[in-house]
Formats: sequence, C-alpha cells, structure tokens
Amino acid sequence: MRISNADNTVNIRWPSKFNEIPKEVFHREDVYRLELERIFMGPEWHMVAHRAELANPGDYKTFQIGEAPVLIVHGEDGKLRVFQNACPHRGTQLATCPRGSGRKIECPYHRWTFKNTGELAGIPGVADFPKDFRKEDYGLRELRSAEVYGIVFATFSADAPEIDEWLGETKPYIAHFLDGDGDLTLLGYQKVLFDSNWKEYGDNEGYHAPLLHVAARLLRFPKTRGEQFMTTHAHKVNLTELPEPGDAGFLRDPSVIMPFDATKRIQASVIQLYPISLILRNHDTITMRFVFPRSVDCTEVHYAYFGRREDSAELSSYRARQASNLLGPSGFISLEDGAVFNRIHVASRTPGTVAFQKGVTGPITAPITMDKGEEATNLIRWERYRQTMGFERA
Amino acid sequence: MAEAAGLMEAPTLISSGDASPVSPAVLARIDALQVRYIRALDLRDMAAWAASFEGGDASYICIARENEEQGLPLAIMLDDNQNRISDRVQYVTKIWAGTFEDYTTRHFVQRTAEARRADGLFEVETNFLVAYTTTRGQSEVLVSGNYKDVVQVGEAGATFRSKRAVLDTAVLPRYLVYPV
Repeated sequence: MRISNADNTVNIRWPSKFNEIPKEVFHREDVYRLELERIFMGPEWHMVAHRAELANPGDYKTFQIGEAPVLIVHGEDGKLRVFQNACPHRGTQLATCPRGSGRKIECPYHRWTFKNTGELAGIPGVADFPKDFRKEDYGLRELRSAEVYGIVFATFSADAPEIDEWLGETKPYIAHFLDGDGDLTLLGYQKVLFDSNWKEYGDNEGYHAPLLHVAARLLRFPKTRGEQFMTTHAHKVNLTELPEPGDAGFLRDPSVIMPFDATKRIQASVIQLYPISLILRNHDTITMRFVFPRSVDCTEVHYAYFGRREDSAELSSYRARQASNLLGPSGFISLEDGAVFNRIHVASRTPGTVAFQKGVTGPITAPITMDKGEEATNLIRWERYRQTMGFERA
Repeated sequence: MAEAAGLMEAPTLISSGDASPVSPAVLARIDALQVRYIRALDLRDMAAWAASFEGGDASYICIARENEEQGLPLAIMLDDNQNRISDRVQYVTKIWAGTFEDYTTRHFVQRTAEARRADGLFEVETNFLVAYTTTRGQSEVLVSGNYKDVVQVGEAGATFRSKRAVLDTAVLPRYLVYPV
C-alpha cells in the first residue's frame, strides 16, 4: 500500500501536527491528477452499482471511477461484470445513458457488437483486418470486480487486496444495513452536483456536527448514544439507534421520520468506504451514495434508494415517501450538509490548514472505536491518503 | 444496445383524444394561478406557495424524469398531502433557515396542453425553465421540465389539486431548497 514519493513531482508540505490538513490539497490541479492516478486508478475498490439497478440479463448501468467511464452489465449467465465504457477497437464510448437494456452491446462507430458477457460477437469488414487479428483479443476490457450483498465493487488495479480483506469488519454491517442478504429493489435516484472537492465531500458527509442540524435535534440525535469505528483500510462505520420515534410535535405529517414498524428500533447509521462511497441505513430508508469527482472543484453524487424484494406495496410506498423527503440533497435532515461542502471549498483558497479537534487526543491508528460524535476518526482516512500520495510530513 | 433512460419523450398526461375545448375564461384563471404560483416562488414566499394548493389530499411532487419514465416512485420532493405541503414551509422557513446558501429564481412558464376531465377538474401541462442567481451574483439554469397539474377552477379563481414538476434535469446543478 505504501508508495514511495521518490518520483513525486507533486510536492505538498504536510503539517507535522497530526490533526492538520493543508488546504491546498482541496484545489490544486496537480494534486487532483495524482489522486486520479494513485487512488481512483490505484489499489482501492469502488462501489459502482447494486444488482437491483440492473436486475435482468441485458440490463446495464454506466458510471465513473474517478474520471474513467465504466459500464456495468448483467450477463446472460447472471454474472455482473464491469467493463471500460470504451470500444476496444478505436475507443468510442459504448453506452451514454445512466441505465438501459439490450441483448447486445453495439459500438455506433464501426458496428462492432459484443455479447453482454463481454466477448466480441460481430465485426463488419473483418476480411480487411491484419492477418494476426484475433477476435478473442478484442472482447470488452474488463475490470476486476466483486459482488457483495448485491453491491458491485470494481478496481482498475491488480494490486488491490481481495475484496473481503479490503472491506474487513464492514461486511457484517453492510449485510445488517440491507436487512441480511442484499435482495433489494430499486426505488429511484436523486442526483446532484456539489461545488466541492471530493475530499471535502468525504470529510463532511460521513461526519458532520449535529450542531448544524435543527432536524437532527428534533430527532434527539445529539443526545443519542452511538459509536463509530475505523477499519484497517480506513472505512468508517458509524452506528446510532434512536431511542424512540417522535419529533416533539413539530411536523404535521411525521411519517418522514416515523418507522413503518413501531416496534423496531430506528437506525441512523452510515458506512463510509474509502475513498468516497457511502451506504446508509436511516429509519426505513436504505441508501447508497455513488460518488465521483467531476473535476478538482466539483463532485457528482447519485443517491440511490432501495426497498426489499419482499416488501408489501404499503411498505414500498412508505419507503419511497420517507426516502424522498428525508435523506437526499434536499432532504429534511440532510440539506444543510451541502451548504458546508461548498463553503469549505470556496474558503480552501485561503492559506494554511484545517484542523480536526473533537475527540482528538493524540495520533491514532485503525482499528479504533470512538463515540459517534468525534471527528478524530477522519484523521485515519487522511493518513491513508497522505501515505498513498507520498506526501512527507514536515 | 437500447438507450432507455434520459432522452425518450416524456409521457404526457393529456392524450390528443381528450382535448375538448376549454373556454377562454377558464384558461385565464388557470394562467393566473400559474403566474401567482411562480411569483410566490420567485419571491421565496413559502406561505403563498402553499396557499396555491387546495384540499386535504392536495399534492406537490417534484421528480426527475429519469425516475418518472422508469416507473420509479422516488422524488426530489414528495408532498402528497396538505400536511406535507405545510411541513415543507416549516423546513424552509424554520428548520433549514440560516444554514443553506440562498438563491433566488426566475420561473418562466408556457402552457402547452389542457383538458377538462369528467369530474370537472382540469388537467394542464406547462413547460418551465428556472434560472437561479446565487449570493455571488451569478445566474444559471437551475432546471427545465414540465408541470403536470390538476387544477380546480371556480368563480373566485383556480387552485392546484395536484402539481407534478417533472424535471428534465437529472443531475441538479445544486441542492434545491425551494420547490420548483
């Protein structure tokens, strides 16, 4: 995992104080280019889809890892594969829509066609090709991928550890958030851009002060006990159970924060996978946030919402009504976050550092467990980042 | 490979067979309602926004066309009763107050179809284009789309029984605070 900075042409003077982060990493173009190479194309896994988004053979979804377009396809054999969204012939983008379906994948440029398992099937004009042309060399370029409770992870890197090792202690919690087996149905999307660097989004999405949220206070979130732990691969699991439903009579229609089953404890929990994906379980809302940087200054987030396959029509409708208003970019308890991402980014152009304070007592290493409200755990993400980027402390 | 999402023609509320003539007096009331509605939003007057809806089962839904076309129920804002509409006024004026980066809007609307239903209500489709201006003074397009509304028209004027703002804009340029 440790990468030498011997050949680094990007130099950042990292503060010697372990709780300080230099602001320039949030806006420097050269830093961003190196992140794309070492983190997004490097030995990390990236959450790119859930099986429920492409439930039938032939279904596909397009997404990005860093700036690289990928195509996730449900093959005739039932397997979900992740390919570069580029024709292996002349490099034309194959699919342009967020989701779709088709028996075959056809490149519009020279009409090469591919099976939904990736093999090259049809090639017009092959008689004029070089003698050493071999059809089997020109299947779709496939990434390493793995499916965990229906969640599809992919990596461009041969050096990423096996998925189970990389996910580590998060795996049972992923299962718990998805009610066991990941047998989900798609309820839909909310998609938004933040004028923010992806690391500012990451720093403040997995953790932010409940002070910001009037709605969180209505839910008595700040007074609720909970804990978070960081895994050895810098993933964060933040677990909170709300003691009882209720909003102190503030809302006329409290269904947005009431559980469907009043006998169940209300969860308000987050798994944040390094570098940038999130899985959330909040009330009856099951959410995955698929994230990629559009540039050093802009981050695109797709909030995907799910129900369970066995849901009654009533529960399915309940989830959609709750999820729509609760936890998205315009959500009752989440809208306020976006304001912080953007403001931090604007202000990152001032000199100096940002500093983590709450819960900071000294240098920490993973695995570690802390109270849910501490921001010190983000320093473990930052330490992984610093080492991957090869930035030396002053 | 079929390109399903994003570029298909949006399903229309009103089929051509339904088009019975609607009188100019009724059209004038419908248009006056729409203008009152966008004026309330451009003034960030949430009480006036809520007042344009009538009936306990009145609804306001703002949803991406990407979801709408694929039959996915998830919306950006889903206020399917009068209580939720009134709660949204609270979200904006009380709960989120002082936290979000504010913006102002200019809504531009063009009625594109209308029909009278058997129950006496009117179905109306209206294109919208919304520009927004940030506190830094820059203006850009926020969303474009089409309203699919059910309007009640009386002697005193018109009100929305339901308003469905279907956004062509699948990826919003910023988080929405105010309804569209």
